[in-house]
Amino acid sequence: MIHRQAPSGPAQALADALAAEYAAVFAYAPIGVRLTDAARTAARRAEAAHRARRDALVLQLSAAGGPVPADKAGYALPFPVTDAASALRLAVEVEERTAAFWRAALPHTTGADRNRALAALTDCAVRATRWRRTAGVTPVTVAFPGRPD
Amino acid sequence: MVLTCPVARGRTTQHDRAPGHSRRNLLRAGALLTLGGAAAPLTGCDLFDREEPDPAPDPLEPLAAEARELAARHRAALAADPGLAGLLTPIAEAHEAHAAELATLFGRPASASPGGPSAGASAGGDRAATLADLRQAEQRGRESAAKLCAGAPAGRAALLGSIAAARATHVEALK
Repeated sequence: MIHRQAPSGPAQALADALAAEYAAVFAYAPIGVRLTDAARTAARRAEAAHRARRDALVLQLSAAGGPVPADKAGYALPFPVTDAASALRLAVEVEERTAAFWRAALPHTTGADRNRALAALTDCAVRATRWRRTAGVTPVTVAFPGRPD
Repeated sequence: MVLTCPVARGRTTQHDRAPGHSRRNLLRAGALLTLGGAAAPLTGCDLFDREEPDPAPDPLEPLAAEARELAARHRAALAADPGLAGLLTPIAEAHEAHAAELATLFGRPASASPGGPSAGASAGGDRAATLADLRQAEQRGRESAAKLCAGAPAGRAALLGSIAAARATHVEALK
């Protein structure tokens, strides 16, 4: 997984968000194979959403002319995914962590960029809520999505 | 305020204090006479008795009021239907936490809570209708928080983003 530090500026904030999206896309592969039926469909949709954010960020950073971080071959998962329960737990964690990167981008962005960051933060937070509900975790919401503990 | 302070300061006995008060009253009367109706909001009290005028309201005060109003809606709904406590209590607490966090930005205590929601607490009404009302209120709240986040200074953007996202998760949780 990617560990979050306060970004130094707008380019760093978006590059960090891109690294988080790469890791999220990576994590949804082992998550998906451990789930069935509606949960598996939800995992596929979540993965597609993270791919779309990833692709938009690559375009955005390329257009800005700055460095575009490359994807890695693999990312360390915080715990092994061995069954549906651990898959759901990881899905919640992936969304919470990715939300934190998008939240950290908000102070470094303005206008359309900030609205995109807010939309991404919100999407992650809503998916985390859905995964908590699927996993039977209560409460299904947190007071400050994306805020570091 | 500037004129009367040196007069009153250092006077300790009741006897000595009395002239200070009458001088203040004189000044106040004089001020009223000279200012007359030309400066309607500047009463004698404003000129001589207050430390500082109230600062202008913070642009986020309506959001804090909305957070308190949303909390009150949820509290009223779960009072009418205690079976919803598991779902609604954390949401009410989140709105209360948002209001408290916003109040720290203003640097003064939060103003009084609204008396209660004007709508939504349909006591004895059916649960689906209650949840639908709450969902609509959360959706409106999400939009107002997102709008404020879009135009906020950098130092406030993250908190406003979390509040907007939290309200979006409430919409989801109430489905």
